[in-house]
Amino acid sequence: MTTLTERSRTAKSAAGVVTEFFDRYRAHDVEGMTDLCSINAGFSYVPVELWGKQRVLRGDGKVATIGKPLWTGLIASFPDLSNTVHTITSNDDGDVVAEVDIEGTQQLPWGLIAPAGRHYREPHLFIFRVGPDLLIDRITGYWNDAGISQQLGHTEVD
Amino acid sequence: MTSTPTQTVQAFLEAFGRHDIDAAIAHLAPQASVTVHPLGLRDGGPDTLRQVLADLVHGFPDLVISVSALISTGDVVTAQFKAEGTQAAGYAGAINQEKHLDIDQAWRFTVGDGLITGVSAYWCQAQLYRRLAVKRYDEIAIA
Repeated sequence: MTTLTERSRTAKSAAGVVTEFFDRYRAHDVEGMTDLCSINAGFSYVPVELWGKQRVLRGDGKVATIGKPLWTGLIASFPDLSNTVHTITSNDDGDVVAEVDIEGTQQLPWGLIAPAGRHYREPHLFIFRVGPDLLIDRITGYWNDAGISQQLGHTEVD
Repeated sequence: MTSTPTQTVQAFLEAFGRHDIDAAIAHLAPQASVTVHPLGLRDGGPDTLRQVLADLVHGFPDLVISVSALISTGDVVTAQFKAEGTQAAGYAGAINQEKHLDIDQAWRFTVGDGLITGVSAYWCQAQLYRRLAVKRYDEIAIA
């Protein structure tokens, strides 16, 4: 016998979860964003990499341990951080692809970028996997970090 | 028989991977819209993409495209792939220092009637310049 949950996963409901995610991001509700993710949700912000002398730190891991601190830090450095969702497409398997502009005005250091009060707006592509329980199981983000650095007045390739 | 959107994108990427740019571009509709965010190219056409692919193959003659996922969401197909190669000529302002490139990227395609009608390419130009030993965005050609 098949038991249906109150909200079953469809392309529409999966897209709804991601729409809600960006609504909460726009409201700086990091706890609420995290609540939309499964406890072990995977996270990959592909452009995030810090090259040290002997190792490279990447923006790969889990939402709870990498994503959440990253979102919190971004909002602290860019207190007016916002997003504009341009497109969201999805399928019944829980795949959701979103084209989103992220923008904000820098007030605190971000990585190696000193604050100069400058504003950035950069197109991002996010790929989500939403599970059958309508919780986000994975987030992957792509964008051009060089664009952000240059808009913020940081001309070094770190 | 008309190809599925995923098959169309797969054929495009396979042609690109073979460095057969004419075959790749043949999968685009004549009025296709092309945006390549890291290069600042917006609302171009097939010729824009032809030049982007040609520059990549010229700069990295051993370019390998490794597709990790093709995600179909209606008439949109999103490809996640890695581009790897060794620089052998100038690329995007960076002089050739024979550095190895490996860049993970995602391209979003819209497909209609068996042809690609839109492409939006996302990768990180900071990662690319880092691998090519570029030190500054305002002095890209200086190693």
